[in-house]
Amino acid sequence: PRCTFWTLVPAADGHQEWDSNSRLARSRGVAFSYLAVGGKDRRTSVLIMDPECSRLLPALCAVLADPRQPVADDTCLEKLLDWFKTVTETESSLQLLQDHPCLVELLSHVLKPQDVSPRVLSFALRLAGAFAAQEDCFQYLQQGDLLLGLFGEAGALGWSAWSIPSVRSGWIQGLCALAHHPSALHFLADSGAVDTVFSLQGDPSLFVASAASQLLVYILALSMQGRDAGSPIPEVAAWPVCAQKIVSHVQESLHSTAAPQVTQALNVLTTTFGRCRSPWMEVLWGQLSPLVASLLKRDPIPAAHSLVDLLLSVARSPVLSSAACGPWEILAQTLHRLSPTQAGPLALGTLKLQRCPQELRTQAFGILLQPLACILKATAQAPGPPGLLDGTAGGSMTVDTLLSSKSACVGLLCQTLAHLEELQTLPQCPSPWPQEPLLDAAVIILRLCDGSADPSSSGAGRLCGTLAGCIRVQRAALDFLGTLSQGMSPQESMLQVFAILLKNLESPESSPTVLKKAFQATLRWLQSSVKTSGCSDLSPDALLFLGELFPVLQKRLCSPCWEVRDSALEFLTHLSQHWGGQADFREELQSSEVPMLACQLLQDPESYVRASAVAATGQLFSRGLQATPTSSENLQAQQGLLMDLMYILSTDSEGFPRRAVLQVFTQWLRDGHADVARDTEWFVTTVLQAVSRDLDWEVRVQGLELVQVFLTQTLGRFRPRCPYAVTLPEATSPTPHPEFLRTLCRLPLFEFVFRALFDCDRPVAQKACDLLLFLRDETAPSSGPQETRDGPNSASVEVALQRWQEGEQGQPLGDLEPEAMLALLRSLDLEGLQGKLAKSSDHIEKSPQSLLQDMLATVGMLEENEADCY
Amino acid sequence: MPEIRVTPLGAGQDVGRSCILVSIAGKNVMLDCGMHMGYNDDRRFPDFSYITQSGRLTDFLDCVIISHFHLDHCGALPYFSEMVGYDGPIYMTHPTQAICPILLEDYRKIAVDKKGEANFFTSQMIKDCMKKVVAVHLHQTVQVDDELEIKAYYAGHVLGAAMFQIKVGSESVVYTGDYNMTPDRHLGAAWIDKCRPNLLITESTYATTIRDSKRCRERDFLKKVHETVERGGKVLIPVFALGRAQELCILLETFWERMNLKVPIYFSTGLTEKANHYYKLFITWTNQKIRKTFVQRNMFEFKHIKAFDRAFADNPGPMVVFATPGMLHAGQSLQIFRKWAGNEKNMVIMPGYCVQGTVGHKILSGQRKLEMEGRQVLEVKMQVEYMSFSAHADAKGIMQLVGQAEPESVLLVHGEAKKMEFLRQKIEQEFRVSCYMPANGETVTLPTSPSIPVGISLGLLKREMAQGLLPEAKKPRLLHGTLIMKDSSFRLVSSEQALKELGLTEHQLRFTCRVHLQDTRKEQETALRVYSHLKNTLKDHCVQHLPDGSVTVESILIQAAAHSEDPGTKVLLVSWTYQDEELGSFLTALLKNGLPQAPS
Repeated sequence: PRCTFWTLVPAADGHQEWDSNSRLARSRGVAFSYLAVGGKDRRTSVLIMDPECSRLLPALCAVLADPRQPVADDTCLEKLLDWFKTVTETESSLQLLQDHPCLVELLSHVLKPQDVSPRVLSFALRLAGAFAAQEDCFQYLQQGDLLLGLFGEAGALGWSAWSIPSVRSGWIQGLCALAHHPSALHFLADSGAVDTVFSLQGDPSLFVASAASQLLVYILALSMQGRDAGSPIPEVAAWPVCAQKIVSHVQESLHSTAAPQVTQALNVLTTTFGRCRSPWMEVLWGQLSPLVASLLKRDPIPAAHSLVDLLLSVARSPVLSSAACGPWEILAQTLHRLSPTQAGPLALGTLKLQRCPQELRTQAFGILLQPLACILKATAQAPGPPGLLDGTAGGSMTVDTLLSSKSACVGLLCQTLAHLEELQTLPQCPSPWPQEPLLDAAVIILRLCDGSADPSSSGAGRLCGTLAGCIRVQRAALDFLGTLSQGMSPQESMLQVFAILLKNLESPESSPTVLKKAFQATLRWLQSSVKTSGCSDLSPDALLFLGELFPVLQKRLCSPCWEVRDSALEFLTHLSQHWGGQADFREELQSSEVPMLACQLLQDPESYVRASAVAATGQLFSRGLQATPTSSENLQAQQGLLMDLMYILSTDSEGFPRRAVLQVFTQWLRDGHADVARDTEWFVTTVLQAVSRDLDWEVRVQGLELVQVFLTQTLGRFRPRCPYAVTLPEATSPTPHPEFLRTLCRLPLFEFVFRALFDCDRPVAQKACDLLLFLRDETAPSSGPQETRDGPNSASVEVALQRWQEGEQGQPLGDLEPEAMLALLRSLDLEGLQGKLAKSSDHIEKSPQSLLQDMLATVGMLEENEADCY
Repeated sequence: MPEIRVTPLGAGQDVGRSCILVSIAGKNVMLDCGMHMGYNDDRRFPDFSYITQSGRLTDFLDCVIISHFHLDHCGALPYFSEMVGYDGPIYMTHPTQAICPILLEDYRKIAVDKKGEANFFTSQMIKDCMKKVVAVHLHQTVQVDDELEIKAYYAGHVLGAAMFQIKVGSESVVYTGDYNMTPDRHLGAAWIDKCRPNLLITESTYATTIRDSKRCRERDFLKKVHETVERGGKVLIPVFALGRAQELCILLETFWERMNLKVPIYFSTGLTEKANHYYKLFITWTNQKIRKTFVQRNMFEFKHIKAFDRAFADNPGPMVVFATPGMLHAGQSLQIFRKWAGNEKNMVIMPGYCVQGTVGHKILSGQRKLEMEGRQVLEVKMQVEYMSFSAHADAKGIMQLVGQAEPESVLLVHGEAKKMEFLRQKIEQEFRVSCYMPANGETVTLPTSPSIPVGISLGLLKREMAQGLLPEAKKPRLLHGTLIMKDSSFRLVSSEQALKELGLTEHQLRFTCRVHLQDTRKEQETALRVYSHLKNTLKDHCVQHLPDGSVTVESILIQAAAHSEDPGTKVLLVSWTYQDEELGSFLTALLKNGLPQAPS
């Protein structure tokens, strides 16, 4: 039960996979977000219907039913519903209703909608659905005709509040919740609800329309439940009435000339084929695929996006992709018919399929390559080496799109570059991958953007005009170029790449976002050059490039834009992380002014930049990459930096630089950096003095991290280590070295950690608790806690701790002897504390009792401040 | 049909997380990207899956615009840009760009601190998100791309708050964000020019309220603080790091100075310095009074307000402490509250709204016994006060803004349905424009009639001028020419130039008509009679009798022929070009009436 991470617990019927994109699905999951792994006991202790909740419930129901009492803020009813859903997951809904008749009274009261606010109406519909999900409870509610009253034609549909989207949404979600058993199916069929759902597919609210489509899928799947076992699936005409009704509605919609109706039908089918894995889908697809194919004959093709989604859903379905009426032919036709922009996502989806005919893959890849092939063709100087898709016909539509307007051209190029980028990182990436022409294309696009491409041909001239200075395309092309570094590229191409990267990095026109992408791409290409050269050293070309890069980096470190200075520093940190040990790199870097400029940025007015400068200089100095060449100056410079960072830690008004300093210090301590190793105790003491006063809890947490590294190292120093010794676990049991304990007591370390244990910020206390547990396990023998309890000064220490726990942090801990420290460690219930701290600190405020109390307490007090948000 | 479409994903008939999608002339813009503080699961963010059913967000959205730094307007931004994957431009004003990350960071720290949330955006994500921001100046027209432009106007409300005009060609939408039409202690009133947008999207928080003067609330606040410290009590004011905190600091600082009070005032967060730095830096965004007095004394340099140390809370005697967070739900403010709650001499003043589940919400709703961790019950004996200092336009202010901007239609967001309904009727009655109030997820579609700019050739204009008619300003004038639509541009030129440019040859279009005349004479004589008749009738026109016997009037040709079956009837074949269509029709009608009797 020490696990602190959160997880979703799947619903009993396993429908958590139900369209994971929809809010409907997510809101189901929400109910479980209180549950922790291994925390079943917590669920029962926090979320069940306990006596206190039972006591409060009637009063709350009375408030909800009273139209004169405005309900607290919107979120309360949502949270209340979450709680009821959780309760009904573990308890009998029927029992719940019988034990709390006020709930049924509330639902009955809603039948007189003139007396209820739309919010409560929507809530009641969803609540009724949640209860009726259990069949016995469904029957119980049906006996009083409550469900028919709520969901039937005489119910919600006739209310004037039906015009309010949240009420319609509540109606659908209520039905979604109850549609879990055969009785519910009959109810849906008899109550006329399905016809209403059909009409709600075209609802002006996106949320209602989307939920309506999903509900249809749900009803269809429920109708067909149990028809998969053994016997062959009959034709649609022999399916249950409800299923037939839905299928014929879909057919009618596909015949419709109105694009929204076609979209609705396609969406229903997409969800159906995406969600279900049953053999009846083959019959359904067999019946509907000709209709879907006929959409391709229309001009323009209606609902092209939805058609793409449907075809991919069918192609991904294991049942349908291997069926006789498989989707491949329609897929090929669609790829052929759609415009390049519409076909892109379908082509990418096709290439991502696990199983797919090779011809189709070739066709799809051709579509993705087409725009870049056109660019290459339009800008070719003379017949050169083979480009992309040489010799293949087509592409006139692509050319038209590229040349028709700026927005069409930019849209198509960005989409294509992003698709190819995604594709290259996937295992399904086509082979052979046309690395060289793609590189050429990426480079030429960047040239078109920065105006350095030759505009002599008419196509190139037009493209130059369209793409010059286009940041969107530049960013997309740089991202793509970065990804291309994964492939093997010949030396010439690499030179070409380095040249264009350098141009983007040094151009005064480059925007901060473009520069950031250029830095990222450069880093990837430098890494790839290592790969190409076969050893961990940079290739000669890369080194040559570095020689030109550092002056550019120097310029960027002085940029007036903080974004640029920051990206440049981040880039520098990465560079020295990777190649800080390499002689050539060191030489190039040290002969530039980059290290000095990085140091200067420690005083930058922007805190983000100061933090990045701390990280960069920390990295440079730990690699010995400071600007000054002589060794005596080195030492001075390093000590200067240590003091600079100490100064930042104690005085910087913002958290980022202080946090960065601690990260650097912790790393220096871990690496045994010379300055730190020279006098570790002084170092730790000074750092802790600064950190203990810090108001930023993350700085304090990192202070504890540093303490942990120090403890581990100090413990290691005092413990005999023999790599070849075979010891039983007992043999390593802690016998604390007296000097180790003395060291700990000499420093202000305990005061710092104990204060942290009672910190008002939970993560600090949690980290301190973990640290003390580690220390206790390492130092205190497993004997009982009683022995040295009343050591020389443990009484005063305990008093101080008591005060701290009560929130009075003023009193100091005083000197601590090793024995007293051990006694204290043993006497504290650290496990108990750890358990408490692992809980979210708002678990009480978020409890159902708290919610009910809050809702009751706000009655009559709302008018004053309800709308006063910010 | 061109149209403007608006879909709120948040702030549609609610006050929660503002996020409004606007499609205008094929461009898609997201207005604000806010977070709902009342949820601690993914419902706190707008449901971005509805933005586009397929395709990448970055390809679909042309830009995101953030109106101001409050979290219900920008809190979901790092989630949207770094976790959902939007990689396009984000626009906001300079102060918003500076202050937004502070608040996001503040909120992140509270969320991670209090709830131990791991699946939340990190500091690095906030920074990376802020690097995508393009900062704009007031009244600066910013080209997002060749077609889409935006412009910021002063909105009051908080430092850096702006209204944005979004314009594509001749179509435009104005989004107000939150605004205030009356100046307050440190900010001025919202202002926009008469930009006559197709649509004004306005907040409507106080749609039915006429707010009393803020002065009364301020006096009340100072009185309560003063009374408490006078009787030796401590005052806790939970605030968020920026915004209202600065406003209240100015209030107290001025009051302390005037009354010569010595009781210490502390600000617990380490962010004061930075916040005040920004208020100083963006002095031009504050109101006239602050700007005027800036030379003698900077209002944001506080003499009486000192940095807080955690140990101070235990000091005896009166004091005033500003502590974060503002809803008493974690950290420093909650810790101080716990210490001071038991003493009836003390007071907590909540200057803002608190969501359900927070201690702030509980005490504001009158709960006095709070269950804390470990089953402890905290009895609240200290006084609890609520004071609203929020700076939104009231009903009068909203009407004033509508009057100022003169939109073709209005759309209400950021308010409650009932109140919106009232305001909607009022706007429709008073301004005679349509007013909409979509719920979240509902799309409002407005047809527009875009005016398309057309270039006119100099030649054509000169020809028009040569006719002696001088153009008059604001008076529509008819001009004939040939419209050439080429390369997405429109030009009006003379037909001759059009033919030349397009390499076309002219086709002559002639209308013909047969007129039957009772005349027994020979064809030549009939033609002669026609000639004489027309010569007499059409004095202003050039009527000719040609040697081949035909008659012409301008381009109209008239030939006489014998009827094939009836020798007493002659057939007049009349033909004319489309330029002379009027005259041709007139002549035909004239000839159909017959010829005058020839003198015998």
